[in-house]
Amino acid sequence: MHPLGNSDSTNGVVLPQGTDLPLEIRVHGRGGQGGVTCAKLIAALYARMGLAVQTFGDYGSERSGAPVQAFTRVDRLAITNRNKVYRPDHLLVLDAGLLETPVLAGVAPGALILLNTSGAPADFGARYRGYRLATVDATDIAREQGIGSSSVVIVNTTIVGAYARILGLPLQLLEEVYASFGVPGDLAAARLAHERVRIQEASADGASPENAAPQAPGQAVVAPLTAPAQDFPIELRTGLWSNQSPSYCRYTPPCNAACPAGNDIVGFVQALKEQGPEAAAAILLRTQALPSVCGRVCPAPCMNHCNREAFDGAVNIRSLERWIADNSQVVLPKLAALRPRRVAVVGGGPAGLSAAYQLALRGHGVTIYEAAPALGGVLRYGIPAFRLPLDVLDRDLSRILDLGVKARCGERLGPAELSRLAAEYDSVIVCTGFGAPHQLAVPGEELAGVEQGLPFLDRVKAGSESVSGHVVVVGGGNSAIDCARSALRLGAASVRLVYRRSRQDMPAIDEEIAEAEQEGVRLMTRRQPVRCLGSGRVAALVLAEVEQGAPDASGRCRPVVTERTTELPCDRVLLALGQQDGLEPLLPARWKVDAGRAWSEGQALSVFFAGDCATGEGTVTHAIGNGHRAALRALAALEGEEAEELEGDREAGATQRVVAPAQIRFSHFEPDPPGRDRHLPLNQARAGFQEFNQGLAGPAEAERCFSCGQCTSCDTCLVYCPDGIIYRAQDGYRIDLDHCKGCGMCVAECPRSAMEMKDKALPGGSR
Amino acid sequence: MKGQLLSANHAAALAATLAARANRTGRGFCSGVYPITPSTECMEFLCAQQIEKGRVVRVESEHSAMGVCIGAAAAGARSFTATASNGLAYMAENCVAAAGLRLPVVMAVANRTMGPPWNIWADHGDALMLRDLGLIQIYCADNQELFDTVLSAFRLAEDQRVLMPAMVCMEGFILSHTVAQTEIPSQEQVDRFLPLTSVPQQLGSTPHSLGQIELPAQTETHRMQHHQAMLAAETVFEEVRGHFADIFGRELQGALVPYRTEDADTLIVSLGTMGLTAQRVVDRARERGEKVGSLRIRMLRPLPVAAIAREFAGKSRIAILDRDISLGFGGVLWGELARLAQAPVVQNYLAGIGGGDVRPEHLERVLADLKGRRQSGTPVNVEAI
Repeated sequence: MHPLGNSDSTNGVVLPQGTDLPLEIRVHGRGGQGGVTCAKLIAALYARMGLAVQTFGDYGSERSGAPVQAFTRVDRLAITNRNKVYRPDHLLVLDAGLLETPVLAGVAPGALILLNTSGAPADFGARYRGYRLATVDATDIAREQGIGSSSVVIVNTTIVGAYARILGLPLQLLEEVYASFGVPGDLAAARLAHERVRIQEASADGASPENAAPQAPGQAVVAPLTAPAQDFPIELRTGLWSNQSPSYCRYTPPCNAACPAGNDIVGFVQALKEQGPEAAAAILLRTQALPSVCGRVCPAPCMNHCNREAFDGAVNIRSLERWIADNSQVVLPKLAALRPRRVAVVGGGPAGLSAAYQLALRGHGVTIYEAAPALGGVLRYGIPAFRLPLDVLDRDLSRILDLGVKARCGERLGPAELSRLAAEYDSVIVCTGFGAPHQLAVPGEELAGVEQGLPFLDRVKAGSESVSGHVVVVGGGNSAIDCARSALRLGAASVRLVYRRSRQDMPAIDEEIAEAEQEGVRLMTRRQPVRCLGSGRVAALVLAEVEQGAPDASGRCRPVVTERTTELPCDRVLLALGQQDGLEPLLPARWKVDAGRAWSEGQALSVFFAGDCATGEGTVTHAIGNGHRAALRALAALEGEEAEELEGDREAGATQRVVAPAQIRFSHFEPDPPGRDRHLPLNQARAGFQEFNQGLAGPAEAERCFSCGQCTSCDTCLVYCPDGIIYRAQDGYRIDLDHCKGCGMCVAECPRSAMEMKDKALPGGSR
Repeated sequence: MKGQLLSANHAAALAATLAARANRTGRGFCSGVYPITPSTECMEFLCAQQIEKGRVVRVESEHSAMGVCIGAAAAGARSFTATASNGLAYMAENCVAAAGLRLPVVMAVANRTMGPPWNIWADHGDALMLRDLGLIQIYCADNQELFDTVLSAFRLAEDQRVLMPAMVCMEGFILSHTVAQTEIPSQEQVDRFLPLTSVPQQLGSTPHSLGQIELPAQTETHRMQHHQAMLAAETVFEEVRGHFADIFGRELQGALVPYRTEDADTLIVSLGTMGLTAQRVVDRARERGEKVGSLRIRMLRPLPVAAIAREFAGKSRIAILDRDISLGFGGVLWGELARLAQAPVVQNYLAGIGGGDVRPEHLERVLADLKGRRQSGTPVNVEAI
């Protein structure tokens, strides 16, 4: 820190003619604009002319935006006046908004007034005719020169350039003073103000401004104690001065963005917290045809993206969904369609059920054609009861069927039937899922005891399967885990799961893998079966060690099969290697599928494809989302419109503003470990097919939701507002922008990133 | 007009810096500091200085700031700190310790109203809280005087006949934040002005403790010694003024600043910057033919009782201004001085409490009110006259 200048040498600049001493200067500004330093700069200018100076500020009680006065006195001899300046010869007003206040008090006719404003002197009318009035847009210049921040532009060094011009002081003097203040970079702004200032001399007719009734010495009014002297009135629209203003916004929570089904997760979790399971179900059921199912078997990408993961563990969203589904009776009202349509849905798995549900909700007639004897697809035939009991599936199915959806089960369709449906119905949505399972393609695969896992799971579910001896399951997905755990329950002596990549690369739900291990399934990762040994019946599997190769498109390492092999004796091999695309056998000859829609000879047909047959994404939640979108698309195509977007798609797509962990103020939250699911005791679990996961004990886990990007009316903004100008309103809060100084504290403190600062000058700002 | 443009806060810190450097061949300098409005600029400036054999320690509270100063002074170093208002209140316990241990710590206090309700503006009440606890107190009215007094306070406090903390006061914002030309002497001059710090009770190679428990008779003795040393400070201060003038070639303001008092029948008595306003009013009154004078009290502890009594002698009307109030009594300065006056009218006026601007107009009213009185009354607020 350095002294602000040294007036030992005067540099030969003398006081311009017409300036009488003693000289009193008053600066009006707002906290943050640099008004006090402005007065100091002016004092330093005069000090360099060898004159005695005195300068001081008169601060407001607030740090930013409050009216601030600063004073400079100039004389030939040492100054003993310790009072504020009441009758200034020069008046500088750094913020035109202050003209609403009595800044002109005590300013006599003929005085110099310098205003920071975009207007010209003539704009200020008769009231100012008696003054020598000058104007300059110092804010614009200073902003252009990058002085201060975007919210608080510091105008002091700029306006002093204009002041120097009015007095006829050389820029050289400014240069010296700015150097001594350590702001030589602001000279450019001062030069611009020096050029641009507009000056209007005092009117010769001497119209006396009403404010300027000068006080004779000794006659100043000393206010009585009952009305203490005020430098400013209370009513000051401090908000006019700010450059930025806060507002409430809805950023997309990462869980919502990650949900393939488009569920409003924060919406239903917050509703559960605030209003209970019925209200939560009413939100969830808008997008979710199968909440009881997804609450059990969803891989829950929402939880992988939960911002709470970076704090103390992700919110157990999957089990909250289950809790809502298991503890509510809500059904959404069926709407009446303006033009009811008839739609055929081919395939009664999750995608088809979701499409049918969404169509029926909107008042359309739907018929599901299902090849199997009952609806559900993989949910019914491929997921074991210890993960998804049939009564749970049936509960979700009955909610769909209660909407009037017709089901024609046991009807396997071919190309001819599909063509017929396309002609009969307004629209057809094909959701037939995957085709045949992948083969192992190694010698010995044909041996007895080597079989596909899906038919095995189907038989298990039907109660017609028994297992003995040592079982090897090949694969790393949920079906592989299901096969392994089912085999264990049916009496296998041992179960090994062989997978060619690492455990981290296994597509199965992490918890399911862990549970399988707890139950006794042994994982053998980085192993690839290369041969099945045995005479007539499999007796052993030859496993080659697999090394990690270069990463592939999925980011996982490509497996490199080595020559190093071992023999694993076994009595049974179950293959769960995924399934092939299965659409080909169904399509009529001239049909082509492009972007999920059927085309025939260049004509778009009202036939759409959804779920695994169209996307191969392979999860229930993807199928539900995809079925929903296909239904909307089919309806829109019939109306000749663009498809309505899912709420989640709209938020994620349009704004791309997904709340990141860094935008959450963790310090506002108490650490609270995730609510864990309850499970059957292991011995009981291994003994049968009773549902292993018993879910949460209650909905308290909902309290852990940060509600990222979505206001919860937590009052933090209101509490932290230093000006007390945030008020509770009917649906959130109201900010008094007349008095908001744009400090941004509410936005900085918002625990969940549900507020933002906007530049008032930009679109969306409040100016 | 010569001098550097400095705020009084910076001037105080610069004086401390020059004094610190002057002790570089001795036990050096160490200062504990903690910010509080309106004295923050002072500690900021000090923190930014390079001081050979010196250390400025930023601590977590005013209490600890003075703790550092106590440790430094007890180790024989020169020491300084700055604070205000409730910061001084928090520092108070250790201020008493520094006084009781007879350690020559110099403090700059930017007088500020004690809160709550919170108020950042000037009021002498904070410093007056420590009036009776064994610290020298001097109140200043302008930047040059503040600089000169802080510098001289080191010589005064460290004088072997005095040895106690010295507090130099400036009204918050009104003086602390005012920038004006200030003449700054060279380091070489300051070196000649300030002898090396010497603390005879300094903790050193011989183990001993400071401030242990005493029996009543011992405490009585120590109190009387401290009192005698405080009284001696008045004389020592005059000597310091002599040295100051010899070395710097200008006057250090004295313990009292009388202005046109010789032939006056009416006196305006005050502390701090109000005294300068009083002088302006005296000039106006003299132009009207009124025999008015101003007596500005600089040194409140020790109180130059005899000198004040001499100034009061023969006056018929005395107005005592207080920018403070001892609640349940009245102005502190009035309480101190009224008994020294024989005048028929000695009236207390409370002015600028909480930082209000005391203008000449207020003091004109004081004079008018004083003229109309036949006898002294209870304290009145100038806003209510």
